[in-house]
Amino acid sequence: MRVRIISTRPVPTTIRDLLSRVVRGRGPSVAVQRREIPYWQERGWNRAGNTFTGSYQTRYSAFCGQIVEHSANSIDFYLYQPSEEIRSCSHWACFQHRGNDWYLVHMGRRPKDVSSGILAIERLITEAYES
Amino acid sequence: MKHLSVVVAGTGQIRDVDIQPGTTAGDVLNQLSLSDYLLSKGANDPFFAAAESVYDKVNDGEKIFASTKAEVGFGTCA
Repeated sequence: MRVRIISTRPVPTTIRDLLSRVVRGRGPSVAVQRREIPYWQERGWNRAGNTFTGSYQTRYSAFCGQIVEHSANSIDFYLYQPSEEIRSCSHWACFQHRGNDWYLVHMGRRPKDVSSGILAIERLITEAYES
Repeated sequence: MKHLSVVVAGTGQIRDVDIQPGTTAGDVLNQLSLSDYLLSKGANDPFFAAAESVYDKVNDGEKIFASTKAEVGFGTCA
């Protein structure tokens, strides 16, 4: 059977890319570097001197916070405008009002670093919403 | 065998470990010389007890946290 070519047109880019990938195989893999940063930084807190500002984040809610690191063994954790759920939880007695709706969170067992304290308070908030 | 990446919360340092069935949180912490720490999957999950097997509760390749012991409270509150 005779074939007569009437016209030619280029293959669409998407098909050309797909075919070239099939022919060439996968490209070399790229190793992605892991970020090794403290939890406070991973959670978006900012540091200015010995004061950290950011938010305690849970799946239920987030609360503004401030942390003052006086020394490795003396870190104050503050939380702004605790919700009704927090106010009615069994740990509410551990919140000391410091004015303007800021509360100092008393640590019965003091964390040795800021990140561990943030985790502890975020866990408390989660418990308050789940209890 | 499962692979775990343990993030030391205070520094962000990541320690990679392989665990076998029956490995407890205490085993992991001892192996990493983090005796004063607790393991958890994050702020939304409770700490693993030292004698608790973590193998069944983590996924292969998962990132978990090691943080120093901290507890909100006075002597009088819960």
